[in-house]
Amino acid sequence: MAVAATHVGGGIADHVHPEPQGFIRRYVFSIDHKIIGIQYLITGFIFLVLAGLLAEVIRTQLMNANGGFVSNNTYNEVYSIHGSAMVWLVVIPLMTGAFGNFVMPLQIGARDVAFPWLNMVSFWMFPVAGLMLFSSFLMGAPVAGWTEYPPMSLQGEAGTSMWCAAIFLVGISSTLTGMNFMVTILKMRAPGMTLTRMPLFVWAQLATAPLSMVATTALAGALAALFMERQFGVPFFDPTKGGSPLLWQHMFWFYSHPAVYIMILPAFGMISEILPTFARKPIFGYKMIAFSSVTIALAGFMVWAHHMFTSGLAPFMQLPFMLLTFVIAVPTGVKIFSWITTLWGGKIHFTSAMLFAIGFVVLFALGGITGIFLASVPTDLHLHGTYFVVAHFHYVLVGGSLMGIFAGFYYWFPKMSGRMLSETLGKWHFWLFVAGFNGTFLPMHWLGFEGMPRRVAVYDPQFQFWNRVESVSSYVMTFAILLFFVNILVSLRRGKKAGPNPWKARTLEWQIPSPPHYYNFKHVPTVYGLPYDFSEPLPYRGLDDELNDAPAPVPAGAH
Amino acid sequence: MAVASLPHQQTEHVEGGVDRFYEETRDLRLTGFLFFLFSDVVLFSAFIFAYLYLRNSGQSWPPPGIARLDVAFAAWNSVVLFGSGATMHYALENWKHGNFNKYAGFLIATIVLGIAFLGGQAYEYTHLYFVDKISWAGSGIFGASFFTLTGMHGFHVAVGVVYLTVLLLQSVHGVYTKEKHFGLTAGTLYWHFVDIIWVVLFSIFYLI
Repeated sequence: MAVAATHVGGGIADHVHPEPQGFIRRYVFSIDHKIIGIQYLITGFIFLVLAGLLAEVIRTQLMNANGGFVSNNTYNEVYSIHGSAMVWLVVIPLMTGAFGNFVMPLQIGARDVAFPWLNMVSFWMFPVAGLMLFSSFLMGAPVAGWTEYPPMSLQGEAGTSMWCAAIFLVGISSTLTGMNFMVTILKMRAPGMTLTRMPLFVWAQLATAPLSMVATTALAGALAALFMERQFGVPFFDPTKGGSPLLWQHMFWFYSHPAVYIMILPAFGMISEILPTFARKPIFGYKMIAFSSVTIALAGFMVWAHHMFTSGLAPFMQLPFMLLTFVIAVPTGVKIFSWITTLWGGKIHFTSAMLFAIGFVVLFALGGITGIFLASVPTDLHLHGTYFVVAHFHYVLVGGSLMGIFAGFYYWFPKMSGRMLSETLGKWHFWLFVAGFNGTFLPMHWLGFEGMPRRVAVYDPQFQFWNRVESVSSYVMTFAILLFFVNILVSLRRGKKAGPNPWKARTLEWQIPSPPHYYNFKHVPTVYGLPYDFSEPLPYRGLDDELNDAPAPVPAGAH
Repeated sequence: MAVASLPHQQTEHVEGGVDRFYEETRDLRLTGFLFFLFSDVVLFSAFIFAYLYLRNSGQSWPPPGIARLDVAFAAWNSVVLFGSGATMHYALENWKHGNFNKYAGFLIATIVLGIAFLGGQAYEYTHLYFVDKISWAGSGIFGASFFTLTGMHGFHVAVGVVYLTVLLLQSVHGVYTKEKHFGLTAGTLYWHFVDIIWVVLFSIFYLI
């Protein structure tokens, strides 16, 4: 048993600044990680609504086999911006920027992230990039999907260059957040919190941060090259000038495959917090879950070309990429089995957060299984570019990431706001969302098997019945999300007071008031063990004054 | 003026001769700065990958109609840049030992060598453009990869020259002390990073 480090005074942990008083410094250009996290959350939800409305444009167009709701070119613009916005403006910022920022420093017992000013700068790049992306509609939005393959992206309207610039900017924001989180987690944990005593959400952020840092920079290179080619005619991708369209695919997927783990690993972390709390049982396989996150992150860099099996990849390259992709199923399976075993024999409380967490496990597993179909070369040759692919990535991104975001939101909202969300509305939200979700995306599997191609505005009339089922279900899903926002707005005003620890959870953020003070902890605690050993006393010391009227820490000097 | 005579910034954090707040923030900054350099390496790697990929996409290299690069000139220019890496090293070492005059001399030499390297690159670019008729956008994948990568590196050198000049002015104004000089450490790291990138670029463009 490791001896906890003794606390030596005078370091960062004893360095507290007075809380800024003006509205601008407090809520707009704030350097407080909690405020920045909530800013990310609000901005991300606004972009979720906008990109969700674009999704409804897509589904309304597909009600009829011959379309007719919007023009074919507008349809192409809509699905391109829908995909780009959902990936870069909704899921990634919510996973890392919102929950990472709000929860992670609290869970490691830090007063803030390592570079608070950089954190603020990262945040403000994000809404600017979002406005740039949506403004591309004004100048002819990109039409080649969120992947923007050349040569089509080279021929797109001016909005494609704006797309490059917007994604470049939000990518820099993501890179800087990744660096900030890496340094914070590696250097600023409370005394006694060794790596293997960190909560699993922090492990997930630690596995995600290097992906944001490394992969996103590679994407920045690809975007810069595409921008230069479009604006200045510098040939990288145009085959008529000696360039190679495949080069873009390599550069793009070298980022975008790790990016799918940026979008899912933090959700894995959230689920690993929520399941033990509501099963009232220690997490099963703590170290296996923690290390499998890291394994997934590392292996994620070696599988990008499985997106390119039909693009003319050399056959001797296909086999290793296929096998490596299969290998990723192993650490993912380790997680899923550990979660099921955590629930096994537990005293399960079916709160909204828990329902979303369990829904996550089921739907993500389904999406993972179809991933194996697509990773194997022979079936992928048949399924590539069909609705089967659309079904697959919506199961992992909506059934996985978005369900994870909802689970995390229901779980941490009391900590952020000090009030409880309505459980009744939460359960309506969950059941309508799950029903609408499966109605929308389950039929896509067999439509894809039968050969319905993705990214087309009109389709063969034989697919019309199931497309209508999907469109109607998607309205149900949208209605469920509307209930979610109603729930937030009502609960912010009328919700029950949460108190510091409504879920009787054991990680550090629940041992301090809700919402936490500006300085997080009156005294930085010392950690003696894992946070998941329910029935044992809490493994922290130095938290006695957090919930009483003891004075706040004295600010250090005026600077 | 010796470094030791510079005023030490006394704060309330100092305990037993160790300023823990400074030590800890220095540790954070150093780690963060190394991560920044690492992600910059990835940015260069993306373009280096693009260059090698295009270069091996089937045609002969250099592509038909493109003259060979002048290896000898670039080699001398590289010596200038590597020399500036050495002077930067001595500048930091002299600061640590309190020799302000030697420090300033070596730092100014570094800045001058950096500017000389940029001059050499400018000469090379104009020569390629006017004599060999090779341009960024008009010479196929050769112009695209060569000018983008060396241009990115040149931009980093230019940023470095400004950075080192700011550091020189800051140190004259007493921002750094013999013990507390993280800015100088970061500047040195950045300058060596620019050097190392050039080793790779020189090898892949001029030697292979």
